[in-house]
Amino acid sequence: MRILIVEDESRIIEILRSALGRAGFAVDAVRHCADARAVLEVTPYDAVILDLGLPDGDGLTLLKDMRARGNAVPVLVLTARDAVEHRVAGLDTGADDYLIKPFAMSEVIARIKALLRRPEGALGALLRSGNIAFDTIGRDLRIGETVLVLPRRESAILEHLMRRAGRVVPKTVLEEKLYGIDDELESNAIPVHVHHLRRKLMGRGATVEIHTVRGVGYLLVEGKA
Amino acid sequence: MTAPRLRSLQLRLAVRLAALFIAGAAIIAGVLVWRAYDTADTLADRELSLRAADLAKYVATGPNGTARLALPAALREAYGATPDADIFAIRAGDGRLIAAMPDTFGSLVARWPTTTEDASYFHLPGLAGKTQDYYGLGISLDSAAGPLSIWVARAMGATALVHSMLEEFVLDIAWVIPLFMLLALAIAILAIRSTLRPIREVSEIAASIGPSTTSVRLPQANLPSEIVPLVTAVNRALGRLEQGFAVQRQFTANAAHELRTPLAIITGALENMEPNLEVEKLKTDVDRMNRLVEQLLSVARLDAIALDVSGTVDLNDVARDVVATFAPWALAQGRVLAFTGPDGPVPVMGNAYAIADAVRNLVENAVAHAPPRCEVTVATDAGGAVSVIDPGPGVPREDRERIFERFWRGKGAPSHGAGLGLAIVAEIMKAHGGAVRVEDGPNGGSVFTLVFRPAC
Repeated sequence: MRILIVEDESRIIEILRSALGRAGFAVDAVRHCADARAVLEVTPYDAVILDLGLPDGDGLTLLKDMRARGNAVPVLVLTARDAVEHRVAGLDTGADDYLIKPFAMSEVIARIKALLRRPEGALGALLRSGNIAFDTIGRDLRIGETVLVLPRRESAILEHLMRRAGRVVPKTVLEEKLYGIDDELESNAIPVHVHHLRRKLMGRGATVEIHTVRGVGYLLVEGKA
Repeated sequence: MTAPRLRSLQLRLAVRLAALFIAGAAIIAGVLVWRAYDTADTLADRELSLRAADLAKYVATGPNGTARLALPAALREAYGATPDADIFAIRAGDGRLIAAMPDTFGSLVARWPTTTEDASYFHLPGLAGKTQDYYGLGISLDSAAGPLSIWVARAMGATALVHSMLEEFVLDIAWVIPLFMLLALAIAILAIRSTLRPIREVSEIAASIGPSTTSVRLPQANLPSEIVPLVTAVNRALGRLEQGFAVQRQFTANAAHELRTPLAIITGALENMEPNLEVEKLKTDVDRMNRLVEQLLSVARLDAIALDVSGTVDLNDVARDVVATFAPWALAQGRVLAFTGPDGPVPVMGNAYAIADAVRNLVENAVAHAPPRCEVTVATDAGGAVSVIDPGPGVPREDRERIFERFWRGKGAPSHGAGLGLAIVAEIMKAHGGAVRVEDGPNGGSVFTLVFRPAC
């Protein structure tokens, strides 16, 4: 997995490089928009981490140029919070995700992994969380040593929760996913599926847990057996 | 005690004009009355002189060689008709009384000094047991029977008729004068008001100027030329203020960038270190610092930059987002977040980021105060309000005002936090023209409610 960092602060490059390196990524870093353009012309990266405030221009302009040239590489934008408030509309034009400074390094890695896990991303096939792994192509779930095949709706829900592990997935989003499978969705269908899913995970000693955020949705968290 | 100074230009002008008009009215009325009485007196004097001359005309030397008065019948009748009102006495040059009416007046004038050719006026208080006063003149006149001294007088009561007519006339005029003055005053006040109206309009525009509207300038059109320099000066001052605000904004933006980058570096560096107890403590410290910097910047931003609260925001969206964003964090703290709200949207006027920030601060507080494994609920109300309900210890009644002050921290509050969160919430609500209030929860704990203006 090869990642490009576009950032002018050398200490941040250093830290990102070291954290991403330990997570198993190969990292290149440039400090200017012009350099980034040049590097992106010749190297196919799996993801780009882009700081918006660059010495020779605005990161958003660079992003728009990239998209205009048909470069679809997933981009994680790093920005100060004020900038988000003023530019979130701009982010819609091409960023895949953004993080607000100061950010936790673990969050950067989680977001990068999430970007790579997208259907068109480099990590598309296998989703991992705790001791469970879900094959998005084979549709089978591995919990520790056990392998089981989930019903379509449950596996669709689990896939989505795993893609966004550690973050809340709104119930409405899950409903949309299920509409494709099931035209007549009952109002309590999602809670019922999640209930089944939970029982299967717990019954087989999974180290992940699905929590309900009442009124909003669900989230899958690692580390609690 | 000093009399309150009249601050209103309009009132001041009106009061002074009124005083001027009252004085004017009094002087004009006084002069008119004085002139009228003066004229009446002059008329009375002239009449007396004419009568004296008339009487002299009818004095002639009789058959016995002595002068005597021979009044024509009409005149005699006239004098006889009002014997008490019109009196006269005629003496010859040698002092002999020729005629008098009544006789008592004749004997009275016998003791008076002789007259001269210039009329001398006298005032006679009472005559022979009669109470009325007389006013008259004595004059020396020539006649067919030689020089004469003639005194004629008229009872004051008789001139009273003339005077009362005059008084009536004067009072009629005096009535009209104040009325005319009042009318003039009313016209003057209306004129002042219409002159001052552009100033009032400018004041209204000035009143609407706030940190969010620093680009507004006061219009100079239609203003009285005396006011224009003031308005120009105010506009220049507004320009300088606007610049100051811009500098402040720039500073806030710079400070944000300058503080965040080193914090991001420290945060990242700590995560890359081998985990041990010391590193974990440092991480907690850096987290606190991150939060504090963010809150300080929130406060600085709220102070320096006026929020744009003109957007329409769905409170359900904002509240749901905050719950979704902070649910994993709350879970890590061993608390549960939940959201409840009406099915449809809850539109309010405001700024989505600021509202999210306010709800976030409330959620952070609620999670910090809620006992472990308890649920903190964010609830919206179709009327345009969002509440954060926690099952914590609640807020003592006496603290409910002060908790919204900056850097205020309650007794026994968790040691983290700078006491800025609720101050930020209060500022954000102020900017929205809304309110924040705290109440007891349904089952203990507290309920913080943000009330917004509903979107039109």
